[in-house]
Amino acid sequence: QVSELVQFLLVKDQKKIPIKRSDILKKVIGEYKDVYSEIVNRAGRTLQQVFGLQLVEIDTKHHIYILVSTLPRTEGENLRQDDQTAKLGLLAVILSFIFMKGNSAKDGAVWEFLRRLRVHPGERHEVFGDVRKLVMEEFVRQKYLDISPIPLTDPVEFKFQWGPRAAKETSKREMLQFVAAIQGKEPSFWTSQFKEAEAQP
Amino acid sequence: ENREDMLSSKSNKLTEALEEANKLFSGVSCAREAALDAQFLVLASNLGKEKANELHSEMTAFDSPAFAEDLLTFMGLNRIEVEEKDSDNEGFSGGYLPSNAWHKLGAETEKYFRRAPSFHYMLGSFKSEPPVPRQRIERQKKATGREEKRAMPAQLKKMEESHQEATEKEVERILRLLQTHFKNDPDLPISFFDLVIDPNSFARTVENIFHVSFIIRDGFAQIKLDEDKLPIIEPVQHHEGREEDRSNLARNQAVISLSHQEWK
Repeated sequence: QVSELVQFLLVKDQKKIPIKRSDILKKVIGEYKDVYSEIVNRAGRTLQQVFGLQLVEIDTKHHIYILVSTLPRTEGENLRQDDQTAKLGLLAVILSFIFMKGNSAKDGAVWEFLRRLRVHPGERHEVFGDVRKLVMEEFVRQKYLDISPIPLTDPVEFKFQWGPRAAKETSKREMLQFVAAIQGKEPSFWTSQFKEAEAQP
Repeated sequence: ENREDMLSSKSNKLTEALEEANKLFSGVSCAREAALDAQFLVLASNLGKEKANELHSEMTAFDSPAFAEDLLTFMGLNRIEVEEKDSDNEGFSGGYLPSNAWHKLGAETEKYFRRAPSFHYMLGSFKSEPPVPRQRIERQKKATGREEKRAMPAQLKKMEESHQEATEKEVERILRLLQTHFKNDPDLPISFFDLVIDPNSFARTVENIFHVSFIIRDGFAQIKLDEDKLPIIEPVQHHEGREEDRSNLARNQAVISLSHQEWK
């Protein structure tokens, strides 16, 4: 059961959609329900020892899991670059924007910023296709972004925040370093953001 | 409606609105009005929070347009001269962004994330359960190794075969040439050199001598010296029971040397 669960988790993680406990129970555990937690624990150990991946429960109420890497990212020039790479670039831009603006940003501000990078919600993008869908649906489903409507706004406006996956896969410190690297400055240049980033373990 | 106005840190409009609401509330008598008042409070508190947020980032103002410019630069924007009167731009950079711009940026951002690499079977998967991935990958490596080795000898074999075939074909061709010639003119022996020398290629000449030597070795032709002590070649007549004859033929070995100079 353990190896089945490991495979199941690895395949489910391909699209970066968080894995529900109910799915795990249904597809893999089956009759072994009683030993569910034991199986999950062992699967987690295997994932860690064999693949360097951590099984993290990002929602303890609804029991939703994601896989996160525990190893530093290999750097190199010839690593595979695909659509996932490009999407990660877009995501990093949005996440860092949100953080630098005080951990939340209005959708209007986000889209205005993206427009400067030639990304328009209404137009089909050469690389990302339907960008609005990518940002508002895919990134949200993957738990990278948390987008909620602002009450009593008409037409409705949205608030962008980091999703739980973003919190696990990166950190304020990392995103600040990203911004600093792009702008050729030291992270401490932005004092309050720097303090906030350093405050997190 | 005056959201932006109220948000501006310089305005007290929000405070004024709150104060007015307070005043109005004292005159409220029915539920509907109270509900409106509550709605107003929610709006006001939202605005208040936003204002507070703006204050916070004011301290270390984040210049997002500058960030955008730096991002574009990193992505390899080719800034071209843009006319001043380009009204579409509204202060945005002109220029051409290469198609791999986002991939380039994405590759740079990867180091800031601990994303689990997307797992895929190297050879795709069957309906039934494939073995645990790690083993699969190792097996895959071994399999390719073996296949490569197998490919090598197969290739060599093919080459050798074609070599042999080519040689045999050549030999046969020359023999047929000889025989045809002799059939037409049985009394005229062929000068060895006339046969083998290719006036245009020394290498070809050497090859021809090589092929002729096979014919001689196998006894299909023989070389004699004519009156001028120049070698001539003629096919061997076929007698009954020629196999014995062939083995009885005196076998001589001769070395013919032909230098490049001589060939010329």
